[in-house]
This record gives sequence, C-alpha cells and structure tokens, in this order.
Amino acid sequence: MRQYIVKRFLQSLLAILGAATVVFFIIRLSGDPARLMLPPEASEEQVAALRESLGFNRPLLVQYLDYLKDMVTGNFGNSLYFKESALQLVLERMPATMDLAVSAILIAVVIGVTAGVVSAYKKNTFIDYLINIWIFITQSLPVFWVGIVFIMIFANQLHLFPTSGNNGLISLVLPALTLAAYPIAPIARTMRSSLMDVLQQSYMITNTAQGFSKRRMVLKRGLKNALLPVVTVISLEFGVMIAGAVVTETIFSWPGVGQLIMQAVSNRDFPLVQASILIISILYILISFITDMVYLWIDPRIKVQ
Amino acid sequence: MKKTGLLALLLILTMVAAGCSTGTSQKGAAQDGSLEITIARAFDVNGLDPGFLTENAQVVDNIFDTLVKRDENEQLVPGLATSWSQVDENTWEFKLRENVKFTNGEPFNAEAVKYSIDRVLNPDNNAPTAGYISTIQEVQVVNDYTVHVITKNPDPLVPTRFNRYPTEIVPPKYTEEVGQEQFAQKPVGTGPYKFVEWNKGSSVVLEVNKDYWNGEPEVKKITFRSIPEASTRVSALLNGEVDLITAVSPEDREKIEGSSNAKLSSVERAGNTVYVGFKTDVEPFNNPKVRQALNYAIDTKSIVDNVLRGAAVQTESLIGPKDFGYAGEFDTYGYDPDKAKQLLSEAGYPDGFSATLDTVNWYIKNTDVAQVIAEQLKAIGVNITVNNVESSVYRTLVPSGKQNSMYVLGWSSTNTLDADAAIYAILHSGESYSTYSNPEVDAKLEEARGTTDEERRKTLYKEIEEIVLQDAPRIFLYQENQYYGVSKKLNWEGRIDGSIPVATMKAADSK
Repeated sequence: MRQYIVKRFLQSLLAILGAATVVFFIIRLSGDPARLMLPPEASEEQVAALRESLGFNRPLLVQYLDYLKDMVTGNFGNSLYFKESALQLVLERMPATMDLAVSAILIAVVIGVTAGVVSAYKKNTFIDYLINIWIFITQSLPVFWVGIVFIMIFANQLHLFPTSGNNGLISLVLPALTLAAYPIAPIARTMRSSLMDVLQQSYMITNTAQGFSKRRMVLKRGLKNALLPVVTVISLEFGVMIAGAVVTETIFSWPGVGQLIMQAVSNRDFPLVQASILIISILYILISFITDMVYLWIDPRIKVQ
Repeated sequence: MKKTGLLALLLILTMVAAGCSTGTSQKGAAQDGSLEITIARAFDVNGLDPGFLTENAQVVDNIFDTLVKRDENEQLVPGLATSWSQVDENTWEFKLRENVKFTNGEPFNAEAVKYSIDRVLNPDNNAPTAGYISTIQEVQVVNDYTVHVITKNPDPLVPTRFNRYPTEIVPPKYTEEVGQEQFAQKPVGTGPYKFVEWNKGSSVVLEVNKDYWNGEPEVKKITFRSIPEASTRVSALLNGEVDLITAVSPEDREKIEGSSNAKLSSVERAGNTVYVGFKTDVEPFNNPKVRQALNYAIDTKSIVDNVLRGAAVQTESLIGPKDFGYAGEFDTYGYDPDKAKQLLSEAGYPDGFSATLDTVNWYIKNTDVAQVIAEQLKAIGVNITVNNVESSVYRTLVPSGKQNSMYVLGWSSTNTLDADAAIYAILHSGESYSTYSNPEVDAKLEEARGTTDEERRKTLYKEIEEIVLQDAPRIFLYQENQYYGVSKKLNWEGRIDGSIPVATMKAADSK
C-alpha cells in the first residue's frame, strides 16, 4: 500500500519534470520575445541589446539548467510583459479559473450522470435515443461556437446574463455552461454503459429475484457500484477543463489563467508561459494522484493487486 | 402526465426569459445625471506608466497630459505647454502652463518635464519606446515655467514627439518615492482623470479630476475592460454592458448599424497602409519591370470592393491624408493585365515565374486578399503559393529579413502623423522592415528627417513618393479604415491617431 503511494508520487514528479522540459523547449522553437517587447520601429541593435539583457543569447542548455535550478526553488522569474512575478500572476488568476472549472464540472456531473442513469434505466426507449443523439451533438460542437451561440441567445436576445467579464455569480453562468457542454457527453456515456454492466451482474439478478423494484435497484445498489469508471472520467475531464479553459475564457473575457496563457504565448512571455503551464500540469497530476487515492478508498480490490 | 409536466416547464422558462428581458437595467447614466462609461478594448492593460508602455496609450492618455495636444482635427494645440518655438537649429523652447497640479498635489513645472524625459532617455531604464525621443540630447530647465529641448541634430518632429507617449509628464517626487514598478500600478498625472483601481485581467477604473486645468469633463467615471474576442465585444455593446468598443471587425459593421442602441463610428484611413513588399535584391524582383508588371496585374479596386467590402481605401500613396507630407493621391498603375504581360516579357519572363507570398492575420481578411492576389497574378503567368504565418512568428520573421521574397506588410504613422513615421522605416535601406535600397531615396529621407524647413520637407516627400512609385518596390494596395462601436447615448467619433480622449465625450442629448 505504502509502496504504491510512493511509486505514484515518484511517477508524478517525473511527469512534472517532463512537462517543464517540454514547455521550455517548445516555447523557444519559434524564437525569443525580444523583438515583440519593443515597438516595431526598433532597430536590430536595440533588439540585440534587449536580448542580451534578458539572457536569451546564452546557450540553450545553460538557460535550461538555470531554469530547472530556479524552478526547484520556486522561482519562475518575472513576466516579461507584466513585469511582475510570473508565479504571483498565475496564482492571482487561479481562483477565477477554479470558479469556472468547478462550476462547470458540477454542471457536467449533474447533467451527465442524470442523463446516463436515465438512458440506462430507459434502455432502448425513445428517451434513451433522444439522450444519445443529444450527447452525440454536444460532443461534436466546437466550444468556440457554443460560447458565441450562448452569448447571442442568452445575453443578446433574452438578456438573462451578461455577455462577458467577471461580475458576480450571474456572469459565471454562460462560461460555465459552455465549458460544461463538452464533458457532459463522456460522463453520460460512461455512466450509461457502466450502469448497464452492473445491472447485468449476478448479484443484481439475485436482487430482482428477491423482488426489489427496478428503480430501487438502480438508485440504491447499481449507481454506487457503477460510479467507479465515472469517477475516472470526471477527474480526467476536470483536469482537461483547467487546462482547456483557454478558449472559453477568451470568448467570455474571463480573467483566469486560460486568458493569461493566451496572452503569454502570443507575447512569447517565457517565464509566464512556463509558470502557468507548470502550475496547471502540477494541478492535473495532483488531481490524477488524488483520484488514484480515492480509488483505494472506493475499491478495496486495488489494494490487493 | 408527462406532457403537462413538459408544458409547465416550457411555460416557466418562457416567463423567466420574458421577465428578465425587460428587467435588465441599462447602466451608464446614473440617476443623478452624471455620465459613467465603460470602454471595451481588445487588449489587456499591462502597465500604466506612459514612459514604459508596451502597448498604445489609450488608457494612460486619460490620466496624463503631454506638453502638446491634438484637437479633433488632429492639429497640434497647447497642452501642458502654452506655446513652443524653435530658438535655433537644435533648440526648442516650450513655455509651460502655470498653476497646474498633479492629482496628488505636486506642482507641475519645468523640473517635472525634465524628470519625465530624463528617466525615459536614461539607458539604464531600458524604456521600450525610448526610440521615439532618441533625437533629444537633453531637456534644460530655463526657469520654473520654461524648458529648452536640445536635439542632437535638427529635428522637425519635436512638437509632435511632445504630443505622444513616452513624453507624458509624471510627478517627480511621487515617482521617485514609489519606484518605477509601483508607479506603473498606481499612476498619478495631471490629466482629466484620476486612477482608481486596476483589477488585473479585467478592468481599470478612472474617476474624473474635478480640478482639471482644462475644465471638468462631462464623463465622471471610466471603466476600461478587455474583451479579446471581437464578436463578444460587439455583443457586449449591443447588450448595453459597454458604451464604446474598439477594433470592430468589418463583418460586424452591419450588426452595429442595425442596432437600436449603438452606432458605428468609421474612421477612414486610420489603419495601416497595406502593401505586398518585394525583396528587391532577389531575382526576379531585382528587375523594376517585373515589379511594375505585378502592380499592373492587380485589380486593387475589386479587392477593396469585393473582398474588403469597403473596409479600406485604395491608394498608391504611402503617406496618409492626415500626415504631414501628404502629397495627394497618385494614379500610376491602373489594372492592365496586358501591359503587365508585356512588361514581364520585356523583363525576360514571358512565361512568368513562381513565388511564395507570406501573409499574417494583422490585416483585414488577409488570407482572402492573398488568395485573390494569387489568382490575379496567375492570369499573367505568375504562380503564387500563399503562406500564412503565425502572428508572433511574423513579428520576428520580417525584421530579421527571413521572410519570402513577397510578403504582405502594413505600416502607418500611428500617433506621429508625419511622413517620416509613415515611410522611413519601410523605405530606407538597412532598416529592419525595409527590403528596398535606393541611395537617392535614402538621401531624401535623411534630408527630410533632418530639416525643420516645412516647405522643403513637403517637396522632399512628394519627390520620394514619385521615385518609389516608378521603382515599385512593392504592390501598392490600400489603407485600412478603423471602426468603433459607440453607444447612442454618447457623442464621440473615432480619431485618426487612435486615441480615446474621454474628456471630449458628451452625452448624446446634451450636445
């Protein structure tokens, strides 16, 4: 048991190092930010001088080792664009992203689980087909399009919610719904198939023989046993949401990490990109670590293996 | 049973929707009649120190003043300086306005002017826009309300430089006290508005400066928001959440024009003059006949009318109509494919050739325009491959000279409104954005930059344009327009210089 936890922990550290390395090299592939930090009229000499003062003319390997060294001590450097601590900037924006991701995953879980249960319960009926079609559609719609259509309907036509910004709970509704739109599908699909599996298990058949009502069986016995694979999907989707809020945050000008990354990438703000990607990777890895631990608790069989 | 449930649900939803749609409050004019506005821009604020901006000065110009201002016709008028004159070749004298205070109580005087310029010129401070005033040797304090600006060489643009960032005047005592980093977070100026708060990533709030030297403005509070997505910006305007939006994309023009609570403000030729640049030292573009042929082969009017749908103005002038040095319009190249073919034959390319055209999404419908150009060139036997380049890559690609031998670029004089800013960087040999080299043009550009004789400068710029048109180092296309969406309760028109002086805005009914 302890061995398992230690092993998972070390794996997580390795994954974080991997993410740190990949982001370091990828962002440098297309050149450095010196030119972007100066007005267009700036001469090549000015650019070269700035490049030198930022240390981007040093060998890549030296920069990489320095970066790893700084990272271990929690120093991500200052954002080139905002001239503030990159880590501080990311942490300042994190609550807004978390607000969005948590509300979106709650919406997705409630709708997704309900839809999955209903369609498993009403297997091969009209409602089941309807739910399946709806799931198919939501999964194929691009987030970008969903967001803009939501704005047009709920803000411009019905005036129910503001179009954008972060101004109290009401402004959270549209971005959260948009972000929730995609993960509903995998959650519902997993819920449906997992529940249908469970319902065919022998102990459920025994229950039927004992005269339990179908509704009671599904809700009391079936749901609990069918949740395990759904938890995996939820935790994966939640991780994707924290990272994938970039588009949603940009459409709704939601002041979270996603928008920050967007700006950081287009300005080639190396320290900021590195800090934000790394924090998100750590969160992602942490979530999957926690999920694994939750498994141990939900499913005693894992302990044995 | 099921049906009635569904019906009830529908009914409730409709009622909620109807109830809320009439219930939304239109904010803006507060109950006491004071005007409060929200401006949505495409970009986030990243610092509020005018001396160290890495974006435009739309926000800070409401907090700070410059010595020289521009009126609604873009004419230079007194700002913090009441008058200015040239004392000798390299010396300009500015008489300063008396009894002006910064909003923290510090007095505005000659020392403040010297301090504001010195800190930008100080090489240790690495000011990104120091280049805009690098012609200045020093600022001398003559007395409390007179300064002399000494230039390294004669500089005709001194008054203009004191109209634009980074020459906004900052309070020396406060700036020193809090330090550069803190000043960018909590700026203090002499301007019509005072800084209130900055919610990182979402908004900057300013309130009116009741003691403003030029009278208290009508708008009492401004909130600057950033909404990066263009269609969301338009939605927010139409929804009454914001009162002014910048960078309306041409496709959204009709949406705003057809709305009941907003109007479109079009500023003709406020954007970039877009062209297809040639690397004039690379075959076959080292032959002027080839370059001229390509100019004859492009039907610019059709591009402007059909692709851009009037969001730009066809022009062969590289200098905008509001720029100093504008020499009117030229009509050198009409659309004439036969002549183009003939020129190509004369140049030794009767069967045409192949080339790659780089383009980037900085310009309206850039991909469509590039495709049409490719098609039109195909008609004279020139095969073009269009290469769309990512924005941040393009910004380093072009100045480093690694772009393909045909590339789309746009340039404008932006805040300077002078021919020097409009063409020097893209025509003078050796400049990062220039792929052209002509000693005669170089000499004229340098002379025009170095003389304060206005008539001489005008003549020089006209001559330069004539030479360049004949030499055709590019395909001359058009100058883009810019569009703002403005709430109907505001009276304001967009400006060529791209500034948003909120102090000039009035409520629509108060004219």
